[in-house]
Amino acid sequence: MTRPDGTATAAPRSGGRGQDPAGRGSDRLGAVIYRFLRSVPAWVLWLMVIIWSVPTGSLFLNSFRHRDDQRASGWWTSFTEGNWTLENYSDVLSSGQQTGGLWQALLNSFAIAIPATIIPIAIAALAAYAFAWIPFRGREWLFIGTVSLLALPNQVALLPLLQMFAGGAHWTIPGTEIVLTLFPDFSLAGTATAVWLTHTAFALPFAIFLLHNYISTLPGELFEAARIDGADHFTIFWRIVVPLSVPALAAFAIFQFLWTWNDYLIALTMLGAAGENYPATIKIASMAGEFGLREHLLSAGAFVQAGVPMLVFFFLQRFFVRGLLAGSVKS
Amino acid sequence: MNGGRPTDLGRPPARSDINRAPRAGAPTHAFLRRPDTCKTAAMAALWGAFVGVVISVGASAALFWGTHRLFALAERRWAVVAAVSGALVGAAAGALVSGIRSGSESEQLLAGSQLVWIVGGAAVGGLAGTAAGLRWPLSAARIGAVQSRLRALTFVGPAMLFVALGLIIPLLRTMYLSLFDRRGTDFRGLANYGEIFTNAQSLDLSGWSGIFGSRLFYGAVVLFALMAAIALYRGRRRGVRADFSPGTVGIGLGAGMLLSFAVFANLRGTVMNNLWWVVAVTFLSTALGLLAAVIADRVKRESLAKSLIFLPMAISFVGAGIIWRFMYIARPPQKSQTGLLNAIWVWLGTLRPSSGGAWAAVAVLAAVTILLTGLCAFGVRRRQAAIAVGSATAAIPLLWLIYRFVGPGVGGSAVGPNDEPIAGTILFVQESPFNNVWLMVVLIWIQTGFAMVILSAAIKAVPADLIEAARVDGADERQVFFQVTLPTIVPTITVVMTAMIVLVMKVFDIVRVMTNGNFGTQVIANEMWQRSFTEFNLGLGSALAVVLFLGVVPVMGLNIRRMQRGE
Repeated sequence: MTRPDGTATAAPRSGGRGQDPAGRGSDRLGAVIYRFLRSVPAWVLWLMVIIWSVPTGSLFLNSFRHRDDQRASGWWTSFTEGNWTLENYSDVLSSGQQTGGLWQALLNSFAIAIPATIIPIAIAALAAYAFAWIPFRGREWLFIGTVSLLALPNQVALLPLLQMFAGGAHWTIPGTEIVLTLFPDFSLAGTATAVWLTHTAFALPFAIFLLHNYISTLPGELFEAARIDGADHFTIFWRIVVPLSVPALAAFAIFQFLWTWNDYLIALTMLGAAGENYPATIKIASMAGEFGLREHLLSAGAFVQAGVPMLVFFFLQRFFVRGLLAGSVKS
Repeated sequence: MNGGRPTDLGRPPARSDINRAPRAGAPTHAFLRRPDTCKTAAMAALWGAFVGVVISVGASAALFWGTHRLFALAERRWAVVAAVSGALVGAAAGALVSGIRSGSESEQLLAGSQLVWIVGGAAVGGLAGTAAGLRWPLSAARIGAVQSRLRALTFVGPAMLFVALGLIIPLLRTMYLSLFDRRGTDFRGLANYGEIFTNAQSLDLSGWSGIFGSRLFYGAVVLFALMAAIALYRGRRRGVRADFSPGTVGIGLGAGMLLSFAVFANLRGTVMNNLWWVVAVTFLSTALGLLAAVIADRVKRESLAKSLIFLPMAISFVGAGIIWRFMYIARPPQKSQTGLLNAIWVWLGTLRPSSGGAWAAVAVLAAVTILLTGLCAFGVRRRQAAIAVGSATAAIPLLWLIYRFVGPGVGGSAVGPNDEPIAGTILFVQESPFNNVWLMVVLIWIQTGFAMVILSAAIKAVPADLIEAARVDGADERQVFFQVTLPTIVPTITVVMTAMIVLVMKVFDIVRVMTNGNFGTQVIANEMWQRSFTEFNLGLGSALAVVLFLGVVPVMGLNIRRMQRGE
């Protein structure tokens, strides 16, 4: 049995829990009352679990109800009435005036999330190895400086980045009319490339932090032995560090995939009105903003969008939690 | 609205329309009329992404491997390394020079195509490098030092390039732009910041007197008084001035929460809303997460419970906003409610005073209250303060509910046009200022799982022998938790709360999807987005972004200090 946090279930520490605090609970009523009181926390927890599950569950049930049913009554009536349908799902996936067009949005989401996951991993793993095992001057402050950018709100970089993607970056040399082009205009605004480039930059501090935490705990004797055998940093990185870091790389990959899949702000900013490139989050958000024709598809759409992360969550929860833990608590 | 993109970039606004973002409710759906081309376009995007990944990863790997071979050469063939390095520098310089334009006409100043400049630069640089390498051969030790520095550079370089281009330079440029006007041309000094903090939309302190009239405030005062009384009483018994037990601190925290709600409900505006979010979501998510983690540690089926509370973490903020919109739906009172919360509220409203339903509810509540009274008496007899106080406290809301059922009534009811009673609904999303709280509930719902998972891991990491030792010394369950477990996990609680502050500070998606900042729910991030990307007010948008940044600067400082200590 494994816990969501990935550790195997430890031996329960509840041994001393049954003791009677008063020390004289021999009468039967007292025993009953104490047993009842000890079960109260569990009831509180399960109540919390129910409250936490109801919103998702109600969306799930609503997504199988006909349009007219959704408008006439709450989802709880469908337990007695039945009348389920899969129509909403087929409608929301297919593209057309009255439907969702979510299928292409899902493809767009993949087109953003896959590069935005793979590229930061590659770049960050190299940097994390260097920060952990290659001594060079200024290493420590460079590392701390990079990782402190973890807390940087994305908003501070969005405007200049969009300008850069839309028209390149140019610098007028002060006092002259001469303009230097620092970043050429590749017409990236409105493309998935702009979105995943932005994601890559924003992901690096966290990726470097997480992978550094892991890579720096690898045994140094291993590298020492390899170096004696004549291996250089490149070989060590490729032959030793990468294979040994697979758990950390997987943890970050899942974390980053969920993050980019669920992202709304960066895609909305970089894609602007380029609707054919919208990922699923923007699609369902705009459906939510209409209050009209397609509102009955909204629950199905939201569930389709959430489907991929939920699958990842259920099957790879171990890695996801490990990423979270490594990211917030230094091991 | 300012029509185009800023024109200070050295060239005409070529793609002025592409980034005019749609409002939340009105996206451009023109593309939907051509379903076939769309599907192929999406597939093309997907394939483009794959090819892009393959090419960029492949090219980086080749470059990486190549530079490493090159640096391995340095000991034997220093001149070759110098030549190649010179060629690379020359090519980069050529590319930069070829991009020089005259600012006003935005035409190329120098003749020749870009390729010519790059190749020429590479040739000149390569020759210079060769000459330098032959003229000044380096000692083996120097070569070794240069080699190792260059090696580190190839490992760190790509990441630093992305961080510099994608984070640091944009951050500096945002700060720079925040000092200029809406088009980014005329210097305004700090006027944009002045506008943020003097505008009644973003900071409205005029309602301060309302704080002292609110029930939340009185509740906070009562709790504070209670805390002080208990602390003084305990202190006198122990011979100190005031003794704060965990329980009294808890009462104090609750009072502080009530007080903050009283303050934020009366001091309005975008900035105050953002602070409200930070305070409420951070505190409540952490508290609920801690509660769940502590209880889950000692129940059967722990992993199931934790998974279900953790599940919302996998759902996007947009999806969560939609999920909760279905919970909050309020329909006209004459129709049946489709949102769960209003359905319950309206149903409670049908249990009118002196109706059968109300008497039934009163009977149930009274029975529970009597049981709680018995429990309280039991606690007093056994000298178990926790049981006595706990059951007495639990009875207070029940007594209040009984009063409501007998007297004014519970739940939603209103008077219809002909004086007949009709169902009353709560407009969760529209009624300011507490609609903010209902939006915060969405984020609390998501973040509780995060806090729970991390705190749960911390609780399990508390050394078992520490707890065993406390037990041997005769500590009961409560004492073990408050005096061993809690102090041990305080650093983790700090980490969770700082991570949460950073996240909540920039809350955007939920507000945009649920209200788009209407009904008094505006927050800084959404304001920033609207100013920057629908009105193209570069100055004000940047200033708002910098305000967000300044909000997390203390957290960054804290993180840096923690890292310096940790290493």
